[in-house]
Amino acid sequence: MKSSTRLTKAWYGVLVILMALGGWAIIERIRGGLAVTNLTSTTPWGAWVAFYIFFVGLSAGSFLLSTMIFVFKMEQYEKIGRDALLVAILSMVLAMCFILIDLGRMERFWHALRYWNFTSILAWEVRFYVVYIGLLMAELYFSMRQDLIRAAKGSGWQAALARFLTFGSTDLTAASKQRDHRLLKILGSIGIPVAIFGVHGGTGTLFAVAKARPFWNSGLFPVIFVVSALVSGTALLLAIYVIRSKVMGREVDKEMVKSLAGLLTLFLFIDLGLEFYEFFVGAYGLQYTELATIETIFRGPFSWSFWWVQLFLGVVVPLFIFFHPRLKESVNAITLAAILVVIGILGVRFNIVVPALIVPVLPGLPWGYYYPTLVEWLSSLGIVAFGLFLYTVAIKALPIDTVEELREGK
Amino acid sequence: MSSDKKWAMVIDLQKCIGCDTCTVACKAENRTPPGISYNVVIEEEKGIFPNVTKIHIPRPCMQCDRPACVQVCPVKATYKMENGIVAIDYDRCIGCRYCIVSCPYGARSFDFGEDYSREMIGYNEVQAPEYGIDRGKREKGKSPIGNVRKCMFCYHRLQRGEEPACVEVCLGDARYFGDLNDPESVVSKLAASPRAFVLQEEMGTKPRVIYLK
Ligand code: SF4
Ligand code: SF4
Repeated sequence: MKSSTRLTKAWYGVLVILMALGGWAIIERIRGGLAVTNLTSTTPWGAWVAFYIFFVGLSAGSFLLSTMIFVFKMEQYEKIGRDALLVAILSMVLAMCFILIDLGRMERFWHALRYWNFTSILAWEVRFYVVYIGLLMAELYFSMRQDLIRAAKGSGWQAALARFLTFGSTDLTAASKQRDHRLLKILGSIGIPVAIFGVHGGTGTLFAVAKARPFWNSGLFPVIFVVSALVSGTALLLAIYVIRSKVMGREVDKEMVKSLAGLLTLFLFIDLGLEFYEFFVGAYGLQYTELATIETIFRGPFSWSFWWVQLFLGVVVPLFIFFHPRLKESVNAITLAAILVVIGILGVRFNIVVPALIVPVLPGLPWGYYYPTLVEWLSSLGIVAFGLFLYTVAIKALPIDTVEELREGK
Repeated sequence: MSSDKKWAMVIDLQKCIGCDTCTVACKAENRTPPGISYNVVIEEEKGIFPNVTKIHIPRPCMQCDRPACVQVCPVKATYKMENGIVAIDYDRCIGCRYCIVSCPYGARSFDFGEDYSREMIGYNEVQAPEYGIDRGKREKGKSPIGNVRKCMFCYHRLQRGEEPACVEVCLGDARYFGDLNDPESVVSKLAASPRAFVLQEEMGTKPRVIYLK
């Protein structure tokens, strides 16, 4: 007990420090405008946009995993169902924070909803995000409702919150439970196309339609976005599940972890295959800008992020672990692999955004160069810490774990 | 200004001597801050040694008839005017820079808020009356800082009946400016010449800046 409170304190301590650093960076950002970044007119998007698509991807991936439970009844994953929804919501919150601080005129963010250019993918995305976040919150709510009613009977602030959230309902009958399940299925079913085509496929489309950037401008791009979302979402949930179980001293469901690892392996392979086609077909066209972009990815100043982060850490090591006869039996090794996959996908996001904006659109125009500044790094760290903070508070305040499981544990 | 005019520019690459006077005149006219040039002159080497030539391609905004930038702007801050010019509404633009990323000509720049106040006394005291709007002093947190900017064929000069600054100063007399709706105008005639071409035609943007080979 004692060591666990110490752990909690240390955890909050670290988060508070990171959030403070991030807060300083964001104040710098607000005061100095985008001049505090290393962005230029040649490379106008950088770390914040990469983080934004990274978190939109995590959200879509986690959500799609949750639909396997709530829509397709793959009950073997039930233990991570609500976690998946919570992670999906918080990832969206972070994605919106990132895109907000990236706007040249932050105070006009509401223009994005007030004015609507029908031909702009970005305008559609903003609206999809809003609908999607609403859907996710409704789904999380109905997945917890029964347990909220149970929790409302207790005492303490959690119970008070639960009482507030249930609006005084005490209906625990089978009929009400069934109604909640039906609602979940409906919401999840609406959510699937919204997440695939609207939210993440759409975010990929945002890039894919930019004909000025041949490297993005392919029909496969949105598909790769969705698949890599599944990769990162599955990996993150796996890691979160194991870490949380360990911290709370609960037993880890090894079978589920292994099954998730199998799913992750499948997604990784599909993702790799699609990436291969993307590069191959792109390069085959011998188009100048496309070739120059691929060369920048392979041999540019930050090619290490492609070879080492995206491929070696993000794909080779995890696959080695998943196929190694001994390592694939170890929960710790699998968790490590999952964390590496998440980091690898972050590399993927950077390598999507930056290299295509390094190569000039017309031969003879200046080449770009971009590496995030301290302010960009710290603000990003701060926002991520803020997300972890919200997550920690949320799992304290809400019945994210199914009640049966809580009874089993401890 | 009657809106039956459709402005266009023709640039004769044989007459361009690559002196960059247009770039300088544009900076002076529009008082663009460091890092922003609405017009640049791209220098390109053509051919294989020993048969090489250098060509210079002045590049303003093409005022495309199918502008990629207008297509992507989420808030319609950038839009096509009746007279063919693609404009930016500085008071609506949220600074997302999607338009910069989408322009196939690299014609757009982001205003990071830098200035020449150290090099030039009073730089911040006045701004160019872009789009015919007097915005007063250049101040932190005030548009167009935080917005995207680009060439608009010196719209404020057109409103006064003048040509764009780059056209007026061109040493080689390489730039022609006029109304493409009028079949008798010089630009209409030159645009019909077999020497005429546009940059990145395959992009389907239909530029209103036409080059002569
Ligand atoms: S050149 Fe670029 S900025 Fe100018 S109208 Fe065409 S797409 Fe828009
Ligand atoms: S930066 Fe401004 S003009 Fe460009 S797309 Fe965004 S809102 Fe539109």
